[in-house]
Amino acid sequence: MATSNNIKKKKTKPAIISEDQITKKQSTLYAFISFAVVVVLWQLAVLFLPNFGNIFPGPYDVVALMIKIVKEPVGRLTLFAHLGWTLKRIFIGYIIGAVIGVITGLAMGTSKLANAIISPVFEILRPIPAIAWVPMAILWFGLGEASKYFIIGFSTFVICALNSIAGARATSEKLKGAARMLGASERQLFSKIILPSSVPQIFAGLQISLSASCSTILAAEMVRSEEGAGWLILRGMNTGNMTLVLVGLIVISVTGLILATVMRAIERKAISWSFRGK
Amino acid sequence: MNNEVVIKCENISKTFPTADGTAFDVIADFSIEVNKNEFVVLIGPGQCGKTTLINIIAGLEEATSGIVTVGGELVTEPDPKIGVVYQETNLFPWLTVMGNVEFGPKAQGESKASRQERAQKYIDLVGLTGFENQHPNKLSGGMQQRVGIARVYTNEPLVLLLDEPFGHLDAQTRYLMEEELEKIWRQERRTVLFVTNNLEEAIFLADRIVLMTNCPSTVKQEYIIDLPRPRDITSREFLKIREEISKNLDLTS
Ligand SMILES: Nc1ncnc2c1ncn2[C@@H]1O[C@H](COP(=O)(O)OP(=O)(O)O)[C@@H](O)[C@H]1O
Ligand SMILES: [Mg+2]
Repeated sequence: MATSNNIKKKKTKPAIISEDQITKKQSTLYAFISFAVVVVLWQLAVLFLPNFGNIFPGPYDVVALMIKIVKEPVGRLTLFAHLGWTLKRIFIGYIIGAVIGVITGLAMGTSKLANAIISPVFEILRPIPAIAWVPMAILWFGLGEASKYFIIGFSTFVICALNSIAGARATSEKLKGAARMLGASERQLFSKIILPSSVPQIFAGLQISLSASCSTILAAEMVRSEEGAGWLILRGMNTGNMTLVLVGLIVISVTGLILATVMRAIERKAISWSFRGK
Repeated sequence: MNNEVVIKCENISKTFPTADGTAFDVIADFSIEVNKNEFVVLIGPGQCGKTTLINIIAGLEEATSGIVTVGGELVTEPDPKIGVVYQETNLFPWLTVMGNVEFGPKAQGESKASRQERAQKYIDLVGLTGFENQHPNKLSGGMQQRVGIARVYTNEPLVLLLDEPFGHLDAQTRYLMEEELEKIWRQERRTVLFVTNNLEEAIFLADRIVLMTNCPSTVKQEYIIDLPRPRDITSREFLKIREEISKNLDLTS
């Protein structure tokens, strides 16, 4: 009967840790092993496959070049300066785009009026890939940094707006009802219910647009710049230096990794309530 | 002495349009009065419009016809003087237990010291002392429901509407919660309209039981329960009342 069930239910603790979860230490170890295996296989391929090294320089060459250009500049700048330029471009364009995108998206997701006004324009802009703006951006903002911020900003804006719209619209009617029942005003309904309950979706948008920014900046730097990861890749291509191309790839990868890690840390803080038993 | 009517539903009807264009009469000509500090339990089969009725009294839905007054005023929209607890606790997952419980008075601009003192009183009363800084997803179903009850009490509503609040809980937790609720209610008298489809729960809690018919639902019969509190669900008198009502009750649906 029901009673035996209930006693059982009471005793079982909620399964916070699932069976196949691994410890942090283990996961670091596995990450290291898998990384090492790839590097070793890669180096072996270079050593023993004829011609492979010409089309795909080995890890030894890549690391050697990286160490060299930490001190000796390629073009105008050294390795970390190139990394810094790319980081800075993404960062500034991204922040501008994210702020405008989140505000626009929340407005559209919350207010039917705002949606009616903004969405026709937004729907036209939305499908345009950010790099399609490169010529326009150069015309409007010149060859300098501002045009790059604009391009990054645009791609971030679209993605963040879309996710914020979805977040605001997905706000539970029942939670809104509960808040109204407790005496919340329309304005408080936005600040105390719609905004916090959209936060996970907003962060999803922030993460996706960060990845998008990495590809956008690369394209923008390859079109027109004298520094950054995109420029390193282009320079390697033009001079037939595949090792430099790989260094450029690593620079953009590290840039993405740094930004995504920072973002994830902020996200964890902001929505700790949705991480069960962290 | 306690005959001041606080909740008054007069000839409530509710019709939903259906997909095929016909009308679905959920509630027909339903009238009920709940007196000050009275604990009334509404019992009826599932899908017979109990939640719809609660939503209408809470101002979340509009009746097709008929009027609802609470404290003598017509209900047209949600109002902090009408507190509701549903089966789904509807707690705000991003707020702590304290954040949830103090939500109402905070939204209405009450000072921190005063609202938190009252919130703490009800957190203690529902037995959640020490859990103030936990988030709801770390709590069991029964504990979440306690937070919901503390939250609504802290808002000091004139009336409490509880719609199958213990429906999700296992039988054991459910008994416990019924006992707690009854104890809290004896300490802090409120006008309560409680919905259930569990007869034992109804008799354990109610001053008066209102039996609903099947769709379109209306009042079938009323029973005054004047057993002394707290009630013993195994006592002869309890079982006798239970037997009598269950003859008249059709919970199949
Ligand atoms: N918004 C709605 N539109 C159409 N039908 C509804 C709506 N809300 C409830 N109903 C219907 O009304 C009936 C009564 O629902 P409800 O009030 O939830 O019953 P109970 O709480 O007694 O189980 C159900 O058949 C349900 O499908
Ligand atoms: Mg219901």
